[in-house]
Amino acid sequence: MNDPVKLVVTDDLQRTRASVCFRIVLAIPHFVWLAIWGIAVFFVVIANGLITLIKGRSPDAVHQFLSEYVRYAVHVQAYVNLIADRYPGFSGHPGYPIDVRFAPSQQQNRWTVLFRLVLAIPALLVTAALIGGTRVRAQWTPGSLLATVAVLGWFSSLVRARMPRGMRDAGAYALAYVAQVLAYLFVLTDRYPNSDPLVAFDDLPLPEDHPISLEVDDDLRRSRLTVFFRALLAVPHLIWLALWGIAALLAAIVAWFAALLTARVPDGLHHFLAAYLRYQTHVTAYLFLIANPFPGFTGAAGSFPVELVVGPREAHNRWSVLFRALLALPALAIASAYGLLLATAALLGWFAALVLGRMPIGLRNAAALALRYSEQVNAYLLLVTPRYPYSGPTAAPQPSAAPSPYLPPDPHAAVTVGA
Amino acid sequence: MSAGARRARDGLGRPRPLAVVALVAGALLWALAARALWHTTIPDGMRLPHADPHTAFGAGFLRRSASYERFLAIDALLGVVVAFAALVVYARRGQRLTAESAAGPIGTGMLLGMLGLGIVWLAELPFDLAALWWERRHDVVHVGYVEHVVNGFFGLSGPFAAISLALLLAMGLARVLRGWWWVAAAPCFAALALLLGFVSPYLLTIDSAPLDQRPGTARTAADARALARREGVPDTPVFVDLVPDQPNAAAVGLGPTRRVVVRESLLRRFDRREVRVVLAHELGHLQHRHTLKSVGWLALFVLPAAGVVALATRRRGGLARPEAVPVALLALVAFGVAAQPLLAATTRRLEAEADWAALQTTHDPAGARALFRHLATATITDPDPPVWRALLGDHPTIMQRIELASAWEARAGQR
Repeated sequence: MNDPVKLVVTDDLQRTRASVCFRIVLAIPHFVWLAIWGIAVFFVVIANGLITLIKGRSPDAVHQFLSEYVRYAVHVQAYVNLIADRYPGFSGHPGYPIDVRFAPSQQQNRWTVLFRLVLAIPALLVTAALIGGTRVRAQWTPGSLLATVAVLGWFSSLVRARMPRGMRDAGAYALAYVAQVLAYLFVLTDRYPNSDPLVAFDDLPLPEDHPISLEVDDDLRRSRLTVFFRALLAVPHLIWLALWGIAALLAAIVAWFAALLTARVPDGLHHFLAAYLRYQTHVTAYLFLIANPFPGFTGAAGSFPVELVVGPREAHNRWSVLFRALLALPALAIASAYGLLLATAALLGWFAALVLGRMPIGLRNAAALALRYSEQVNAYLLLVTPRYPYSGPTAAPQPSAAPSPYLPPDPHAAVTVGA
Repeated sequence: MSAGARRARDGLGRPRPLAVVALVAGALLWALAARALWHTTIPDGMRLPHADPHTAFGAGFLRRSASYERFLAIDALLGVVVAFAALVVYARRGQRLTAESAAGPIGTGMLLGMLGLGIVWLAELPFDLAALWWERRHDVVHVGYVEHVVNGFFGLSGPFAAISLALLLAMGLARVLRGWWWVAAAPCFAALALLLGFVSPYLLTIDSAPLDQRPGTARTAADARALARREGVPDTPVFVDLVPDQPNAAAVGLGPTRRVVVRESLLRRFDRREVRVVLAHELGHLQHRHTLKSVGWLALFVLPAAGVVALATRRRGGLARPEAVPVALLALVAFGVAAQPLLAATTRRLEAEADWAALQTTHDPAGARALFRHLATATITDPDPPVWRALLGDHPTIMQRIELASAWEARAGQR
C-alpha cells in the first residue's frame, strides 16, 4: 500500500429511516466518548511528536492507539453525516462500512515533525472547506461539503431509505481528507494530506457515465507572472462571459419552452448553450488555476487543456423541465459547497504556483472536481442535459480520452479527474 | 506584390508625393481642430497680475511644500524611468509570453497588453510605496501600506479591461486595414471615449450618495442647485464620494449622465464659501462641455500616437500580430511621455476655464483665493513650483489660480 491513509468504502447505500430520523441524538454517546478519548489523545500526540522527533518514527503502540482514534472519529462522522448507516462501535476497530486503512509506522522526516503545526495550516484550510461551518450573522449555517450532503441526504434517506450514491461519495471524500489531515497532525505519517479525489479511496466503484464530463489535459506547469495577475487577467473574460451569459439565459428560456412542448431542445440552442458552458469552463479553469494558458473567447471545443465534454442532445422529461429550477436546488446547494472548495484550492494553489511554478496535483484535481460538478449543474439548469448532476468525486473514464503530451508522470494526474 | 504596392498596403512606407500632400493636409486639419479646441471663454490677452507667494503663504510653508513636492517629483521621475526600462525589457522579451495563451491573436495580444501594464505596476510599486511613506509622514494621507497595495492591485482591473478593449479595437482594425489601421483608430477611440464618458458616471457613483440625501448638507445642496441654474446646467445631480482621501471633486458624464462628484472630506474640511467655488468650478466644466472637448483632444492625440505605434510595430509584423503588443506598449508610453507637456497644457486650459466660470458665477474672488490657499495647505501643494513641474501639471499652479481670481476682480472693478 503506497498511501499511508486510505478510505475504504463498503457501504451499500441502504439507510434505516428511524435511525436516520434520530441520527444526531443517537450519536450523543459517541460524541461524549470521542471527547473523553480526545483528552487522552491530546497528550499522546504531544508525546508522539517528541518521540518521533528523537527516534524518527512513531512507536507501534502509540501509532496503533492514535490510528484507532482517527478511525473512530471517521466512523462517528460517517454515522452522523449519513455516509454510513450502521451504528459504530466504540473501539475504532476496522470493519465499519466507512473505514480507514493505515500503513504501519514508518520513518518520518524530523524537520516536518518539528514544524508540523505550521505546515498543516493549508491542509486545515481545505479541511474547513470540506467539513467546516460558515458563520453567517451569528448563526451556523451548513456551508461545507460534508454538512451540505448530510442535510440533503437526511431528506433523501427519510423518503427513499437510501442515500444517493453521489452524495455518499462526496461525503466520503471529505472524510478521507479529514482522516489524512488527522494522521498528519497526530504525527502518524509525514505524507502531506492529498486533496486529490482520485487517490482518496481504496477501490471505490466507478459510477455510470455522465453526458457532461471534464477532460483535464494539463501539465501542472504554471507561469508565475500570469499566476500573480490571474484574477485581473480574467477580467476581459469575465466581462465577455457576463454578456454571453445574458444571451445564454435568454436562449435557456426559449429552450425551456421548446423542451416543454416537444421534450427536446432545438439543435441550434443546444450547441449555443454547450459552447457557452465550454467557455465558462475555460474561464473558470483559468481563473482558479486549474489550467495555465489564457483561454480563447469562443469556447471552441478542444482549444483548452481543461475541456468540458458535452454529450449529444437527449430527450427531456417534460415534468422535469417544468420544475427544473426547483429540482436543481439541492444540486445548487452542493455546487455552492464545492465552490468553497474551489476557492480554497485556488487560493492555496496561487501561493504554491507562485513559489513552485507548478500547481500541486491534489489541489488541481480537487478544483477540477468542483468545476466539473458546477458545470453539470449549469448544464442541467440550462437544459443542455436531462441528467441530474453527479456529486461524487470519481467518474467513469472517457472512452475518447487519449494519452496527452501534457500528462505529467503521475498516472492519476489527468483525464480521470472529472471525466 | 510589388514593393510599392506593399508599402501602400503597409500605410507607412517611404513617403510619396501624394502621401506627403495628405500628411500636410492632415497636419493642417489637426492644427485647425486643435485651435478650435484651444479656444476658451477666458478673455484673450488678459494679463495675470503678479501675486507674491510669500505674502499669500509665508516662507515657512513655501519651503515645506517645495521640499515635499520635490521628493514626490523625483520619486515619480525615478518610477517612470524604471517602468520605462521594464517596458524596454518587456518589448524585447515579452513575445515569449505568447506561449502562455490558448487564445487567438487578438486574445493573446490582450494577454500581453495586460501583462505589460502589470509589469509597469510592479516596477513602479517601490516608488509608489515611497511616495505613500512620504505622504503619510506629512500627514497628507492615512491609508495603510497593505491596503494601498491591495487597492492598487485590484485597481488594475479597470486599466486591464480598458487595454483589452483598446487592443481588441486596434488589433481588429489592424487585421482588416493592415498598415492603415492608425488612421481609423482616432474616430474609433473617440467614439469609445464618448461611450465611456456617457456610461462611466454610473460606475463612478456606485458607492456615492446624492448630496441632498446626506444629513447636514441641505444648505450646500441648495447652493449647488442655485449655481447649476446660474451656469445653465440645471438639475445636475451632485454626489458625495465617501473615499477617505484628499479633498477633491470632479465633473463627469455627458448629457443626461452628467453629474458632479464631491469628496466627503472636502465638505467636512472646507467652509461653505470655499465649497461653493468648488461646485461652481465643476459645474463650469459641464457648462463648457469639457468632457466633449477632452474627447476631441483625445482623438487629436490618438492619431499621432497610433501612427507612432504602427511605425514601431512594423518590424514585428504590425499590430495585427500579438508579438507586436509589447513594442506597441513601449511606443505608446514613449509617445505619452514626450507628449505629456502638450497634454498637460490642454487640461490646464480647461481647468482655467472652469475657474473663470466659477468666478463669473459666484462673483467671489476672495472665496476662490481662500479655497486655493486652503487646498494648497491641506495637500501641501507647492503654490509656485519650478517651471518644468508647472509644465507637467494638469492644473494651473495655485499662484496662477489665485492670480486669475485677482484678474477677474480687477476686471469686474473696471466694469
